[in-house]
Amino acid sequence: MQSSTILSVQNVCKTFPTRGGGVEALRDVSFSVARNELCVLLGPSGCGKSTLLNIVAGLHTPTSGTLSLEGRPIHGPARERGMVFQSYTSFPWLTVLENVEYGMKLNGIPKAERRERALHYIDLVHLTKFRDAYPKTLSGGMKQRVAIARTLANAPEILLMDEPYGALDAETRWHMQEMLLDIMRTTQTTILLVTHDIQEAIFLADRIVFLSAHPGRLKTILELDFKKGKEIRSKEDLVELEGYPECEREIMQLMRGEAKQEEDA
Amino acid sequence: MTQALRTLPATRAKDTRPKLRIFEFKSDIPASWRLTLGVAVWVLFFAIWQIAAWSGVMPAILLPGPGKVLTALYTLFAENGFLGDVLVSVWRVMFSFALACAVAVPLGILMGAFKSVEAFFSPFVSAWRYLPAPSFIPLLLMWFGAGDAQKLALLFIGVIWFLITLIADHTKAVPKDLINTSVTLGGSRWQVLRTVVVPAALPNIVIAMRQMLAVSWTYLVIAEITAADAGIGAMMMRAKRFLHVDQIMAGILVIGLLGLIFDYLLRALHRRAFQYLDEYS
Repeated sequence: MQSSTILSVQNVCKTFPTRGGGVEALRDVSFSVARNELCVLLGPSGCGKSTLLNIVAGLHTPTSGTLSLEGRPIHGPARERGMVFQSYTSFPWLTVLENVEYGMKLNGIPKAERRERALHYIDLVHLTKFRDAYPKTLSGGMKQRVAIARTLANAPEILLMDEPYGALDAETRWHMQEMLLDIMRTTQTTILLVTHDIQEAIFLADRIVFLSAHPGRLKTILELDFKKGKEIRSKEDLVELEGYPECEREIMQLMRGEAKQEEDA
Repeated sequence: MTQALRTLPATRAKDTRPKLRIFEFKSDIPASWRLTLGVAVWVLFFAIWQIAAWSGVMPAILLPGPGKVLTALYTLFAENGFLGDVLVSVWRVMFSFALACAVAVPLGILMGAFKSVEAFFSPFVSAWRYLPAPSFIPLLLMWFGAGDAQKLALLFIGVIWFLITLIADHTKAVPKDLINTSVTLGGSRWQVLRTVVVPAALPNIVIAMRQMLAVSWTYLVIAEITAADAGIGAMMMRAKRFLHVDQIMAGILVIGLLGLIFDYLLRALHRRAFQYLDEYS
């Protein structure tokens, strides 16, 4: 496990300065993500999971602690850590194809190669028919697919996703989750994904990093052993799996335990 | 189907067609209605005007009817070389507005994009915004005389501060996630500015220009009424000397018409340039 570590987060603390002396968002969080793994950051609201992801992206700087990708320290945002946001970030003035080519254009990839790679990833997210469409004609799920294709086409070493399906309706969300697993299988991607949706976490994750709230601390890391070696392609596959109800119950209790502590405090 | 679920036969819903109502909050009306209503307000306006002129509440020389004003308008163009005045006025507005945009667009974008630029310019711009432009007329007259330079300067001062503020605000409103998307794809500061901030703010910047162009027309007339030998305002002041109220009204009509035309042109440009926007689907 140690040898295949791609992202390492060590003793990260984050305090946002305020007039009253500061709000502590993260306290001493450490975990790592292995190559080709889908790691989920899960926890109740206020656990700082999005802040943590933003720190990994380089959009925030930690107050203390170190982060490294492939052994190189992380300073500021960079191409190698592409991010998909919860809000729709397809550039409305660019077509689907231009959107997917956008990152590669920034990085000076020659036009022919850019086009070829963009078309490949557009196909991967099933948007070939819409390659010349503008985002205004696309549904929310399609816009998120554009964002995923755009980030993947830019060849990041790790894909960061901040509640990417939070704004979608339930049925679209299933499709998107299933598609993401398909993409994982075919492209050998490493993903760090933030969610507050327990079922989404169990369905997608190889490993769940569970944070507790106020301040955000590492509560536990869950290895989803009951999924190991099983072929899971749809939500139904997951629900039928032995060990699934127990796993879901355990995480629910973790969440509730957090909520209860909040009330008691 | 498992035992846990029971299916019920579907029932047909009754056909309830929505009724078309005139007063419905924020709901669209047919295009034909929009046109009819738009024309109706003008018909009503001219009718009231005509009735007022006929009724004799004011002497005919002070309140000519619409017919007389239209005649005066024709005479102005056909015999008095009014077209030259109109072109001078249009040129003044266009040239000064282009100058104002050339300064305000880059400055406003930089102020909206970078807090440091905003912190430097904002106190200055805000102070100037509160100074009424016409208060500079005496000064401008002494500096530049009654020629074109004075008019251009007044028009420039009249719109530039508001233009900068509006453009800065629109730039500030560019969603942070769009910027962060570009940054996490590897975009440099300059690339983000050029490929995200500017294109994202541009549609609203054009709207700000449309709004401020209307203000520019206001200052044009003020400038031309105070001192000018050519232009629509100058013609109106000449007409006042000879009690040609019909010509003054014709001048007002032309200013209104020109404003309408410019507004329409900018609207059309907006629609054409930004077809990708949701509002044009």
